[in-house]
Amino acid sequence: MTTAMRPDRFARRLETDGPDLATWPATERAAAEALLATSPEARRRLDAAMRLARAVEAALPRPDPAATARLRAAVAARIAREPLPAPPRRGFSPVFQASIGALAAAVTCAAWLVFAPPVSGSDPLAPLLQAAALVGDPL
Amino acid sequence: MGSFASLRISDKGLLVRTLSLTPAGPAVLPVDRTDASRIAPPPLARDRAAATDADLMAWAASGDRLAFDAIVGRHAERVLRVALRVLGDPAEAEEVAQEALLRAWRNAAVFDPRRASFTTWLHRIVLNLAIDCTRRRPAAPADLAAALDIADPGPGPEGLLAAAEDQARLHRALAELPPRQRAAIALASEGMDAAEAAAALSVSRRALEGLLRRARRLLGARLRGGEPE
Repeated sequence: MTTAMRPDRFARRLETDGPDLATWPATERAAAEALLATSPEARRRLDAAMRLARAVEAALPRPDPAATARLRAAVAARIAREPLPAPPRRGFSPVFQASIGALAAAVTCAAWLVFAPPVSGSDPLAPLLQAAALVGDPL
Repeated sequence: MGSFASLRISDKGLLVRTLSLTPAGPAVLPVDRTDASRIAPPPLARDRAAATDADLMAWAASGDRLAFDAIVGRHAERVLRVALRVLGDPAEAEEVAQEALLRAWRNAAVFDPRRASFTTWLHRIVLNLAIDCTRRRPAAPADLAAALDIADPGPGPEGLLAAAEDQARLHRALAELPPRQRAAIALASEGMDAAEAAAALSVSRRALEGLLRRARRLLGARLRGGEPE
């Protein structure tokens, strides 16, 4: 079942989809055809859109056949000298890999700072400092 | 010791890869069905005229320059036409079209027919280049109407004169459109459906509809000799 289409919605559709109803979505097309059967305004809008489409088509530039031939020859000449297409890159991009590496290094440093045992017990200078304190060496 | 692989048809009619690893005998591995369907015929046996764009691009990706030449033969005119309709300048359009086709060659191995049709992919390349080209232009836009070589209406029958005036107005209106709106109009005139055109322009379908609506409003208004509503 199709919902009824109003002329203003029909006009919007003409602006987005163009006047060739065959290219419209099926439900919209059916609703538009039902509207066209009863609405002179819709038919007038369709006529205007068709005139515009024809005029635009005529106004759009077309390449000169000589230019197309020139393009084909130029591309063939360039392709003959070009290296073979590069194979698709597999895996992660280099930027992504570098980011992961930097993140892993940062996490390792953070873990080392958090979990490393205190070094005071094994400080090689500790006995010297203690002895110096006993003899009153100001150091 | 090296290993040797070859393809053969098995007794059951299946394509199998024969992998000999040791002198003791070959190990037979079944080949995935999709893998088998993608095996290309040897270059001399390829029917490039009958091949699909996707096949031609797959062959081009493996270094088949003749396959890419067939692609160029099919699409060069369309690429040039789209570039010309966005840029308006025939010389610039030729440069952009050439660069687009070269990029298609260089990136042939990247093209994936499961993600987009070849025409959509190629249009995306040419439109990106053409729109970039319009951005690099000096502040004063190129005189598109002049570049399109508009015929002077001149004297003549009334109908012809009116048609020529309409054409001149539309040429000026097309030149007035922003590049993306011109690109949307160019794609619509190529008969692309909305989904393909949106993909080629790298915009949503809704955004494409907005581009087309604004472009058609302005063109219609200019054709009537006025301003868009």
